[in-house]
Amino acid sequence: MKAPRISRETLLVLARFVDRPGDWRYGYDLSRDTGLKSGTLYPILIRLEKYALLEARWETTENGVPPRHTYRLTPTGLELAQVKLAESRVDWLQQPLKQGV
Amino acid sequence: MVVETHLRHAATVLLEAAIRIAPPDTRDWGQAMRGELYHIEGAWPAVMWALGGAGVLAKQALASFLIPGRRGIVPDGGLFTKNTSLRKAALVTGAGFALAALLFFAAPPFRQAFRVAMRPWYILFERTSTDLQRDFGTLAKRAAARHDPQGLAFCAVRLYDPRESARLAGEAVRLDPSLLWVYAVVSMRHPELPEVDHWVGELERRDPQNGLLHLIRAESIDRAHFRHLVWTRPTREQDQAWQTAMAAAFQSPKFDDYLDRVAELNRRVVPSYGFYDPYEVVDRARLELPYYAFENSERYAKSLLHSGADLEARGDRKAARGKYWAVARFGQVIDSQARTAIEHWAGTSLQSMAYTQLQTSYENQGDRAQGELFGYLATKFHPVTGEHPKMAEEPAFGLSISSRNAAVVESSALMILVFGLLALVAASILIVDSRRGARPATQRAKPVATMVVLTSAVGLLFSSVTLYLTYRPYWYIFQGAIENGGRSQTRDLSIFLASTPAPLLLSPRGWLDALLYSGSPSFLFYFWASLTLLGLIGIGLVLLRHFRDRARTKRVSA
Repeated sequence: MKAPRISRETLLVLARFVDRPGDWRYGYDLSRDTGLKSGTLYPILIRLEKYALLEARWETTENGVPPRHTYRLTPTGLELAQVKLAESRVDWLQQPLKQGV
Repeated sequence: MVVETHLRHAATVLLEAAIRIAPPDTRDWGQAMRGELYHIEGAWPAVMWALGGAGVLAKQALASFLIPGRRGIVPDGGLFTKNTSLRKAALVTGAGFALAALLFFAAPPFRQAFRVAMRPWYILFERTSTDLQRDFGTLAKRAAARHDPQGLAFCAVRLYDPRESARLAGEAVRLDPSLLWVYAVVSMRHPELPEVDHWVGELERRDPQNGLLHLIRAESIDRAHFRHLVWTRPTREQDQAWQTAMAAAFQSPKFDDYLDRVAELNRRVVPSYGFYDPYEVVDRARLELPYYAFENSERYAKSLLHSGADLEARGDRKAARGKYWAVARFGQVIDSQARTAIEHWAGTSLQSMAYTQLQTSYENQGDRAQGELFGYLATKFHPVTGEHPKMAEEPAFGLSISSRNAAVVESSALMILVFGLLALVAASILIVDSRRGARPATQRAKPVATMVVLTSAVGLLFSSVTLYLTYRPYWYIFQGAIENGGRSQTRDLSIFLASTPAPLLLSPRGWLDALLYSGSPSFLFYFWASLTLLGLIGIGLVLLRHFRDRARTKRVSA
């Protein structure tokens, strides 16, 4: 059986979570940090959440501003991310792809 | 500021629309993207964010449509295998579309449409007119092997090569003497053949009242002093013989071009040999009365009218009008039995000339009423501006519609080839990559190849449907002509066939037309051809980039 493949983009997202393990992160912040566009970032977040590697919650806001979704890795997710990042020896993972949404 | 507000509003509307079409289990994620929109700095980044999010949701909507039982985005094949099931669904859908498109080839109208559309491109590979008629050579051999006179006659009346045409005609008549009329059609096409005099003699015995035979004899005499591109003055005997032949033609009570018999021959031979080529069967331009017959008739008519005018000047009005009426009567004979446009033209033209002369004659005599009557008839029968009833063969669709349909059919066939090739290349990339195993560059190529397979298959099916539906009416016209000898709308098919544009390389005029007249049918063809070319260049660049990235990844890994 083939080993599961990890895309470079997924590793980038995991790396940003591992940087600050306990923090809740917003989607837009992750997009800016990783350089991933919304069309790439959200499918990754959805997959991680479905496998219980990521937890999500709604953050209520005031004055008619829509609520925001925030994310952080679960303990299992953090453990797996650390393993996978350690396995990866590609230096450019530390750099964002490019600036932008 | 106003623009920014509008852009943000547009981004919000876009995402909300995408949320509405998204499957229920992904709507929360749509709301998450919508929530972030408020915090994005700048209107354009917000629009880009909304576009990306809407793309994700639309993809999910498509996936749940293709796989109704599918839940969410999570792949079946593991955590990090990105959208495996979606890719599989896309490939299955693409294969389904491609199969549906290929099934069109099982339909005879579609096969014929495809052949017709490809026909102009054959010119690129065929050097001589004989090459273009290779199919007839093969058919003639099959007919000879079967000892089938009708098959031989079918080829004889169509071949460009006069000697081969004469040989096959002789063989056909030898096997079936009732096919003697084939000599007339071959003679019409090749009046320079030495056999013509003998053949016309035989035909005159069988069909003595037919004016066509005299016209053929006259042309044969005319050709005798125009050999090897050198014209020599006709001898007195030759001129006399020509005059006699034309006088006999003008006195004939009947005019039969034998095209009905050709149609009957088509009905028998085409199904028997499976020779479903509308170009050869329905496009009768090469079989109908040649232009020379009209020229000879006009030349002889003018000489009669001049001679009548001389007689009238000398006071012999009765003899003069006899000559005018001889012209008018022959025009009536041709026109009343005309089956083709040129015959109709010849008939009305002769009548108009004669009635004009009769009008002058009666006006000179002071008979105003008769003069007006013939003036009216001359106007009515004028071949260009006259009110003579239109022939049954007038096109029903019209020139512009048939020309446009021809351009659509040719463009669709071109698209089928392009999309088929693209689908094949993309599928090959996927197959080769799946055998080589997982490589990072390969993984990036797969979504592109999958998308190319899907879009090409959709394009293939769309082009096939367009080709089929556009050509279908012409298929029915062709079938009507073959099965019932029907002539209705064969003009439409002829116009359609004549309108298929020539290949780009061979038609600089086509490029010019397309540039100057955007309404011309060729514009449509050249527009799509240019678009296809640009698309191919784009795909080439994508592939180039893919292989360059692959090489770079290899270097990094090393």
